[in-house]
Amino acid sequence: MRGRPNLYTDYQKESSIFSNKTQKSWFGLLISLAIGLCFLATDYWLLLITTSCLIAIASWGLNIVSGLAGQINLAHGVFIGVGTYASAVIGGVATSSVIGYNLDMIFWLPVAGLASAVVGLIIAPITVKLKGLNLALVTLALVFIGSHLFSNFKSMTGGAGLGRKVATLKLFGIDLENGLQVGSYYLQREQILYLFSLLICVLAGLGVKNLVRSRAGRAYSAIRDGDIAAEALGINLFRYKASAFALSSFYGGISGALFFTVSGGVEPGSFNLVYSITFVAIVVIGGAGTVLGPLFGAFFYTLFPAVIQLFLHTFDIGEQSLPLNLGQLERLLFGLVIILFLMFEPRGLWGIWFRLRNYFKAWPFSY
Amino acid sequence: MVVIESLKFNNVTLKFGGITALNDISFEVKPKTLYSIIGPNGAGKTSIFNCISGIYRPTEGTVTYGENKINDLRPDEVASLGIARTFQNIELFENMTVLDNILIGCHRQLDYGPVSSLLFSKKVRKNELEARKIAEEIIDFLEIEQFRSSYIMSLPYGVQKRVELGRALAMNPDMLLLDEPAAGMNNEETEDIARFIIDIHEEMKKTIIMVDHDMNMVMDIAEEVMVLNFGEKLAEGVPTEIVKDKQVIDAYLGVG
Repeated sequence: MRGRPNLYTDYQKESSIFSNKTQKSWFGLLISLAIGLCFLATDYWLLLITTSCLIAIASWGLNIVSGLAGQINLAHGVFIGVGTYASAVIGGVATSSVIGYNLDMIFWLPVAGLASAVVGLIIAPITVKLKGLNLALVTLALVFIGSHLFSNFKSMTGGAGLGRKVATLKLFGIDLENGLQVGSYYLQREQILYLFSLLICVLAGLGVKNLVRSRAGRAYSAIRDGDIAAEALGINLFRYKASAFALSSFYGGISGALFFTVSGGVEPGSFNLVYSITFVAIVVIGGAGTVLGPLFGAFFYTLFPAVIQLFLHTFDIGEQSLPLNLGQLERLLFGLVIILFLMFEPRGLWGIWFRLRNYFKAWPFSY
Repeated sequence: MVVIESLKFNNVTLKFGGITALNDISFEVKPKTLYSIIGPNGAGKTSIFNCISGIYRPTEGTVTYGENKINDLRPDEVASLGIARTFQNIELFENMTVLDNILIGCHRQLDYGPVSSLLFSKKVRKNELEARKIAEEIIDFLEIEQFRSSYIMSLPYGVQKRVELGRALAMNPDMLLLDEPAAGMNNEETEDIARFIIDIHEEMKKTIIMVDHDMNMVMDIAEEVMVLNFGEKLAEGVPTEIVKDKQVIDAYLGVG
């Protein structure tokens, strides 16, 4: 376009996932590395990364409702719980105390997400009416209601203190609980879960990116930044707030079902207030409202204790010589990190990454 | 093409507790006119806009748009009838770029839900290309290309006003409500915005209702003017008559 150099005509490129080839190749490299890691890393590290991926999915969920749509949700853990129990009932094995239909993963995984989403929609009429502190309080109340229900629906959850086994790993009729023989290579249960979590994690991330670059994501951000203006532009507040809650819960449900399948069992006490708040912390540390933030936050949250342990181990510092035990130390440092982030980098890990990337883009120039 | 409707206020009264913001106001804005509402601070100009766009509910009386009674509708329902507005204190989405703000304006023109968004289906892709085309045309029209990917909070006030106008235009409305489009602007910026308003009115054939303090601009470009004072309608008519009206001069224009 001569004479109008600022007129953009390549709209396709504008809304693509990767803005250039370099980004695309970095992403490809990262994925190949992640797949390679499956065959190289020890079970311990595999488990950590699997957990990170699954926590990232739930964090992305919370990010949709809190980061994008700006609606505080302190009850994300409850939605994760609903998904977990839905999958446990559909895909778990029945015992004398709990029900279970022992169905295939192809059923229990979507059901986990949908059950959470439905619960999210059921409470939408309440959550949509409120905002700010009032919404925070209502979601806080949901945590207590959720905990109570989880503890008392014994036929589904096994009851407080006892818990139950969750869904079994069975896909397309193939039992994966004891690994899988692929040709001459034997794929362990940990490796299968790792690869599967990686896949779902990438898909979930793609979903968030898709949201952000299209109508619904823009509507969410509009509601966050100014709901009066958003409404005046024709955005139906009820519809979009409710759908944000539903999508968020869907992510939570999927994540919960897989997460507890990795650990094997679930106890109602898991879904307490601290559990829900943890996700808020992850989103804040990672960078609320960004696409990659929750992923960074999730990896930080799971790898942080591991790094501390590695540190203590390397320098041969025994637990006895510390004034606190390991768990206390981890929580203390994690709390400190949250405070530091809120004070110095409100955009979280994503903000740091953003600045680093721009620095190296311009390197060796400082501007 | 949708037939452009006329907007009518039928004896609208708006009260907040003991305060009467609007008292028995009636007027009609005919299709494709450039209608202006003027009056001193607190005269009820913005209240009229808020009654139209569903933010306030009139205590008495009705507001109709063509056949539709719109005073019971939610703001998003009013917007979906093709009535767009700007705000007196710019209500742009500050954490987003100019382009994103204008794309949000396209919301009404796109047709797919959150689940399609998540999957980015073929339909979404097609819709998004269209939205971007609309947005680029508006950016081109308002001459804000250089600010295209700037974040709103980094932009000067005059440009923000223009972006807000662009966001309203992105809705492809039949009727545009402009709340003090020239407030806080210098002469040059006022001239620019006046030019855009005239273009929107004459080229795009849109009905425009404009609220403003800037008498010079209103008298220059408006086709019909209504004068408000303390919630009462003082006068209505073509600008040349209004400036001669004794009551208006006393209440508002003053000496000079």
